[in-house]
Amino acid sequence: MRGGDEEWDEGTPERLYVITGGRSAPTENSSLDLVTLIVAKSGPTPGMQPEHAAILRMCHSPLSVAEVSAYLHLPVSVVTVLIDDLLSTGRVLARAPVAAAQLPDPALIEAVIHGLQRL
Amino acid sequence: MTHAGSPPGDPRPASALVWVLPTAVTAAAALTAALLVSPGLRAPIFWIGLAATLSTAVVAAEAARRGRAAAALRQEVAAREAALARQEAETVRLAEQLLPHVVARLRQGDFPDDVLAGLGEDLSPGLTEEFRAAHRAVLRTVVDVVSAEEDLRDSAQRAFVNIARRVQAIVHQQAGELRDMEDRHGQNHEVFGDLLRLDHGTALIGRLADSIAVLGGARPGRQWNRPVPLFSVLRGGMSRIIDYQRVELHSVTEVAVVGPAVEPLIHTLAELLDNATRYSPPQTRVHLTAVEVQSGVAIEIEDGGVSLSEEARRRAERMLQQAQEGLDLADLGETPRLGLAVVGRLARAYDFKVSLRTSAYGGVRAVLIVPQELITTAPATGRAHGIGASSGPRPTPTTTGSASAPASAGGTLGGSAGVGVPAARAAAAPATTARPLPPARPENDRDTSGGSGPEGLEKRGVEAESVPEITERTPSGLPQRRRRARAAAPATAPPGRSVDPVISAASAAAADTTDPPGQEAPPVQPGMWMAAFQSGISGESTAAPSAGQTQEKPSEKSEQP
Repeated sequence: MRGGDEEWDEGTPERLYVITGGRSAPTENSSLDLVTLIVAKSGPTPGMQPEHAAILRMCHSPLSVAEVSAYLHLPVSVVTVLIDDLLSTGRVLARAPVAAAQLPDPALIEAVIHGLQRL
Repeated sequence: MTHAGSPPGDPRPASALVWVLPTAVTAAAALTAALLVSPGLRAPIFWIGLAATLSTAVVAAEAARRGRAAAALRQEVAAREAALARQEAETVRLAEQLLPHVVARLRQGDFPDDVLAGLGEDLSPGLTEEFRAAHRAVLRTVVDVVSAEEDLRDSAQRAFVNIARRVQAIVHQQAGELRDMEDRHGQNHEVFGDLLRLDHGTALIGRLADSIAVLGGARPGRQWNRPVPLFSVLRGGMSRIIDYQRVELHSVTEVAVVGPAVEPLIHTLAELLDNATRYSPPQTRVHLTAVEVQSGVAIEIEDGGVSLSEEARRRAERMLQQAQEGLDLADLGETPRLGLAVVGRLARAYDFKVSLRTSAYGGVRAVLIVPQELITTAPATGRAHGIGASSGPRPTPTTTGSASAPASAGGTLGGSAGVGVPAARAAAAPATTARPLPPARPENDRDTSGGSGPEGLEKRGVEAESVPEITERTPSGLPQRRRRARAAAPATAPPGRSVDPVISAASAAAADTTDPPGQEAPPVQPGMWMAAFQSGISGESTAAPSAGQTQEKPSEKSEQP
């Protein structure tokens, strides 16, 4: 992240706590994690905070929180706070990723493979 | 006496004769009396007349001599009075004109000898040598004292600026490291919150160091090479005050501030915002707006605190005016004076116009006018997170694509890669266009790190090949979306690939392996990683659309050849 940091440092004088308004964690939707998918329900409106507008623009199609964080060059905590704002105003939808539990048990697959090989 | 009636310019002939007339009259009277009386009495009368004539002559001569002496004395007195008046005038001039002038020139940094030499012939004309020497001695003493004091103040200023610079360097380094840590610990909310607090404290220290540097006559802090959007500048100012959460940022006109003026403006705003938050009740908000006016951009800071009385307002504005005179150590003690002195200095140096008025909210409204010369609409430095891109998307003319542009799936997924690169260049170097940061950047400094993946994932039916760019800027510095023209018939890609414009992320990721060797996958493609991850975790094959995309666009089909 060093390269991104230099860009940041060169490009913007504001610090992260101003972007989040001093919050370091989402207040309502603490279930947001790295792989939560975010979809914008509407486009950005004039007068929005630029980061909010940027999230709305890039989440036109579903994006994970980690991706949004990477594109914005902002730490995940900041992004979750921003997405939390958007969630509470109903501008985006958060969708939990498909749970890994739905996959067949790898051990079962292995057992099947072994069984097939033994045939 | 006869000389009383004589013209004053010619007293000498009359005074020479003045003793003759009474003597002659007395002699004539004595002779007449001697002739008129009887002859027996003639002798005594003659003698008496002679005595009277002689004594009259003596008295008249003495009177004439004294008259001449008195006239000479009167002339001497007049001459001395004139000299005295000249001396007084010269002394007054020394006190009222020369000394202030000399002190002013010394304060401006002129050398003492130059100042004295400049006064050489001007000093006390028409006075005696002793007087001139005395005046010169007075001036020399004053010049010595003032220059010694100025030297002392200069060295104190230099010492302050030196210390402030060192503190600034440490703070800057610390801020960079904190930023690193914030990135590193971004997922741990507790640690991140602590880091934010530390970051805030560091910014406050930095502001204090900047203030001392400004009062010491130096620039505040760091330099900015490129224009910075006004929105970022305002938030930069907010970053440096204690109560930044109370500042409400309203509409901000979309302009940028030229590089050299960025840091002074941030610092001025920080001091004004600090005053506004400090002198208003903690539960009130401070409103910050920026609108364009004829002479530039007007930044208004309104608080809901105590209104300024007319007298206090005048005092504050006088403080702003007086800020020019250099570092006053007393300023460092009191916060409002320190802040206003800094604001005044910066305003003077950069032509900001600051005025304090009574606000409609009942508090103080500070209006800061940034002159037009410091405002630019040139491409600003808004980076990937879309700073300054506060407006919604706006339509732009599309860049018509040429058929020679590469259209590998990876390139489409990369999205950001060749955005804005002229088609000819893209044709010349098809491999490079698939990289997130092509070596040849578009001339108007578009941001290519911004939204690469979203475009890749974005599916808009037949328009899927025109990839919108997120943080592009018009020549006027405004954010915009731009469609990226995609090639219809790439030379290197399999023919089937270009037929259907809709390319899913998953298939694109898989297609990378089948691409010609020159078109390797971009090193950093978060969208791709996540898409592959999603498709992997959802247990679907790479040929099938990923889970999220399936829900979005069920009709989408794979491009896998």
